[in-house]
Amino acid sequence: MRGTPIHMWSGGKGADLLFLHGAGGAGRWLPFQARLAARFAVRFPSHPGHGGSPAAEWIEHISDLAFHYLDLLDALRIERVHLVGTSFGGWIAAEIAVMASHRLDSLTLIDPVGIKVDGWIYPFLFGMDLPEIVQAVFHNPMAALALAPADQSVETLAHQYRQGAAIARVSWNPYLYNPLLRRRLGRITTPTLLCWGAHDRLAPLDPCGRAWASDISEARLRIFDASGHVPHLEEPDAVADAVIEFCAAGAGRR
Amino acid sequence: MKFYYFHLMPYVMDHDEPSSWVTLSNRHYDPKVGQQLYNQYLDQLEYAESLGWDGLCVNEHHQNCYGTMPSPNVMAAMLVRRTSRAKIAILGNGLPLRENPLRLAEEVAMLDVASGGRVISGFVRGISAEYFSTGVNPTHSRERFYEAAELILRAWTEPGPFAFDGKFYRYHYVNPWPRPLQQPHPPVWCPSQGSSETVEWAAKRRFPYLMVFTPITRIAQIYAEYREACERHGYTASPEQLTVNLPIVVAENDAKARALAEKHVMWVFNTGLRMHPPFWRPPGYMTEASLRRMLQNPPPLPSELTFEQADAQGYIVYGSPATVRDKLRVFSDELRAGIVCSGMNGGGHEATLEMMQMFAEEVMPALGGGLRPPSDGRERA
Repeated sequence: MRGTPIHMWSGGKGADLLFLHGAGGAGRWLPFQARLAARFAVRFPSHPGHGGSPAAEWIEHISDLAFHYLDLLDALRIERVHLVGTSFGGWIAAEIAVMASHRLDSLTLIDPVGIKVDGWIYPFLFGMDLPEIVQAVFHNPMAALALAPADQSVETLAHQYRQGAAIARVSWNPYLYNPLLRRRLGRITTPTLLCWGAHDRLAPLDPCGRAWASDISEARLRIFDASGHVPHLEEPDAVADAVIEFCAAGAGRR
Repeated sequence: MKFYYFHLMPYVMDHDEPSSWVTLSNRHYDPKVGQQLYNQYLDQLEYAESLGWDGLCVNEHHQNCYGTMPSPNVMAAMLVRRTSRAKIAILGNGLPLRENPLRLAEEVAMLDVASGGRVISGFVRGISAEYFSTGVNPTHSRERFYEAAELILRAWTEPGPFAFDGKFYRYHYVNPWPRPLQQPHPPVWCPSQGSSETVEWAAKRRFPYLMVFTPITRIAQIYAEYREACERHGYTASPEQLTVNLPIVVAENDAKARALAEKHVMWVFNTGLRMHPPFWRPPGYMTEASLRRMLQNPPPLPSELTFEQADAQGYIVYGSPATVRDKLRVFSDELRAGIVCSGMNGGGHEATLEMMQMFAEEVMPALGGGLRPPSDGRERA
């Protein structure tokens, strides 16, 4: 993409759907993506520095990632897309939505970060070891096994370090938000589904989920009772079905 | 060989917390104890000058019990007025940690002028944990370091005012008053743990290189890289460009020195440098190449270092005066280091002063250091 290679999984047939992963979620085609692929042509790129995508020095701000994926849509000649993003990927998706709502058939944000919410400071994952991170992110820690590294080789550790650096470049400070994003959320005119884990400890439903729901006029909030911060990993079928149902209803409205 | 007295100004304490950095609550810090410690530590540094040490070293660390000097320039300022001969080496200021590094150019110039040109200005990135304490993005560390260094050097050497338009630092008017006394600018030293990027950067600019708390085999390897880089840049490194920084313990005999080292030096490694693992490795602080080199041959965590390892790998120098002389000759003769930086801890203020005196009288002269000619300056002030 304009000189920045993208590694991307593709699968399924139907309307175009772009999935933007969260930290650590690159390059794994899991039950959530498989279920979506039964109804959509799913495209699942790895962010620069993640999975099979090499790091890109020019990406220094979250909006750089949003433009990166608008470039991708242009290159694929996809005029309108169902956009689904989770956590950090939800942040990118929201940045895309405030820039280019007209390119979106629907927007699904799964426990996104990216806005400053009064009364909440996101727990600092960069200062946590692995058990602490699992504790902060998952309600069902067994679901974390899906993201477990293959081994502890130098290659694997270097890869994890590269991913951490790519995230930190755009999110260390301010941590996990763009101060400008929240006041722009009113620009989102796309039908928006907010999926939220009832037990999210990183970006809790109250106040974070409520803030997104109040600031996006077209938003519908669905709560997943058995999930923490990553419901698409903790309740993949239920979240995928919610997305499918929401997109079908949206298509009916158009 | 020249000798510099290096102080961490630790807040020595035992605790069971997982980290002595960043998260160790400052409720453990008793300012009344701190007052006594600061004054004893400053007395030790002043005493070092009277005993013949060539330089006095202070350094910057944040939010820990390992070293309670978040602003080394404040400590340097106190030393400027209480000393008259020794160099005052700030090893160093954490350049990328500052939002306004022009302030550093100003502060160091103030110290240089007031001290009559005795200041050595260390430029460092700050260790990994400082990025958790200051909020500075560790992925910007290296770029900010280079940019701040360029700004400071230009501010010291180019007549102002001029404009500076960097990626991280931007000024329409760079014009610091005062300018430094030393010309073209105070010596810049680069304390480091051996990243090849820093070695290259320092060698290219003829900035002396300083290895801190590193095993001797690695010191030898990095010195060789530095010397080779200097040759590549068209000159031969002088001994005074190569400084080694390590703890020294001297006592009447080897056994007594060993007992002191096991207790007090190992506190620095095992407790002072105990760190929650994520604080050692913030994302993007190292280049991926440096990370891979480190992972191929991972050093022991300081908190897990045993005395036997530290001894065998040359992290520390201890023994009777004769033993310490022999051990330091390895640094002067084989590694050809021109400067030894070391702190001492005898296990209490008075005992530390006595250890310093023994070192100054019985070790330094044999290595060409200390007071020349001997004078009566050994009397404690």
